[in-house]
Amino acid sequence: MARNRTSPEEYTRPIRRILVGLLVLLLLAVFLLWRIDSPRVERFRTALIDRVMPSFDWAMAPVTHATTMVQGFQSYQSLYQQNQELREELKQMRGWKEAALRLEQQNAKLLDLNQVRLDPKLTHITGVVMADSGSPFRQSVLLNVGARDGIRDGWAAMDGIGLVGRISGVGRRTARVILLTDTNSRIPVVVQPSGQKALLSGDNSAEPPLEFLEKADLVRPGDKVVTSGDGGVFPAGLLVGEVIQKPDRRLRVVLAADYERLEFLRVLRSHDLEPITDPGGLVTPPVGADVIGPPPPQAEVDAEAPSGDGNG
Amino acid sequence: MVDPLRRDVLVHRGLYVLMALALLFLRLLPLGNGANGLPGPDLLLCVTLCWLLRRPDYLPALLIAAVFLLEDLLLLRPPGLWTAIVLLGTEVLRSRIALTRELSFPLEWLFIGLLMTAMFLAYRLAFAVTLMPQVGFGFAMVQVVASILVYPLVVWLSHLTLGVHKPGMGEVDDMGRRL
Repeated sequence: MARNRTSPEEYTRPIRRILVGLLVLLLLAVFLLWRIDSPRVERFRTALIDRVMPSFDWAMAPVTHATTMVQGFQSYQSLYQQNQELREELKQMRGWKEAALRLEQQNAKLLDLNQVRLDPKLTHITGVVMADSGSPFRQSVLLNVGARDGIRDGWAAMDGIGLVGRISGVGRRTARVILLTDTNSRIPVVVQPSGQKALLSGDNSAEPPLEFLEKADLVRPGDKVVTSGDGGVFPAGLLVGEVIQKPDRRLRVVLAADYERLEFLRVLRSHDLEPITDPGGLVTPPVGADVIGPPPPQAEVDAEAPSGDGNG
Repeated sequence: MVDPLRRDVLVHRGLYVLMALALLFLRLLPLGNGANGLPGPDLLLCVTLCWLLRRPDYLPALLIAAVFLLEDLLLLRPPGLWTAIVLLGTEVLRSRIALTRELSFPLEWLFIGLLMTAMFLAYRLAFAVTLMPQVGFGFAMVQVVASILVYPLVVWLSHLTLGVHKPGMGEVDDMGRRL
């Protein structure tokens, strides 16, 4: 009996070791596959998230709401404390100053809002934030709109005020928004009064730095930062935030969007860039009727050709 | 019908899967714990190592691999890499079960801390070898330190609530073998 107890163990142990080794190799192979052919594996991942997340939704919504309610309650508590403090200050005739400052801030915010002018050609789809990235090293959120709603990769996502991020990864029912704070995010921007172009590159902190500024001394803290539309990635003129200077002399941007509560996001439908199909009548002789688009101006070509001959 | 000991193992496996899903779920909640916040502990890793050290029969390798692969995929990590490292780490632990059973808790803690750090370094190394961008060392190390600090709490809680403890002298498994 005693021999019976130990013998199966002795047989299975080496086999088990081999199987676990194979499993590890398989996992590493998956990793290498992802490293080599990332888009295909990412597509699988998007499909998986697309399948899993909406089914989590029924559970996520109540928990999220409960937590925000608790947070709201806590803010009420702090409001009460604030009220007490204000009353004390009122006794010292300083409450007026506080109220005036607050009104001034609110006014500034409203003025700021009024200056947001979007391109009238832009329309938007509003989505609800379903889930976070879940990792402290990735800054992204999952929206409940996807390819079904016509979302495409690369479109801009905003909250009511400022730019939040861009779409990266679209499933059928979900789309992922890479936030501006993510380390993979690079957005071409313009700093407003001076017109300096720069790249806003996320670094996992709440205030992403401005990089590749041509003349950094023209940029001052408090300047407004908007998207530049360079590279055709984003529509130009979306509000991003305001420049600040940190103690380390680096210029960073305080984002206008409220990152603490991302709940509803607008995804802006960017119009496609018109591809240039026409080779240009001056460079090559006009091609046949298979060219899509307006016919090349025949008259100009004719007028140019004899003059070229005359010169030569 | 079902042997009570066998049932105990199955129940704990189910509990492990449920707990993994719950932890994933909590991390995915859109509560906007955004940038600037320090990364918290990797609780799933703590739970896995803690349970494995106490009752290796609760966590077969395949289950660990499945759970961590799911986590890899949902949390946008490179799929497979962290799973493979966790699997290797748990196998290292599993093969030294006879040794670790006699350890006192502080020594066990030290051992687990070293193991977690080694796993973390292996992960960083794999990133470096495959030329992938990675987060700052200090920032990522905070997570490891937090995991190590929270480990005793996980041990205590899983002992208290789920009854995961090192098998005593006379306990036997479903085959009648000594644990």
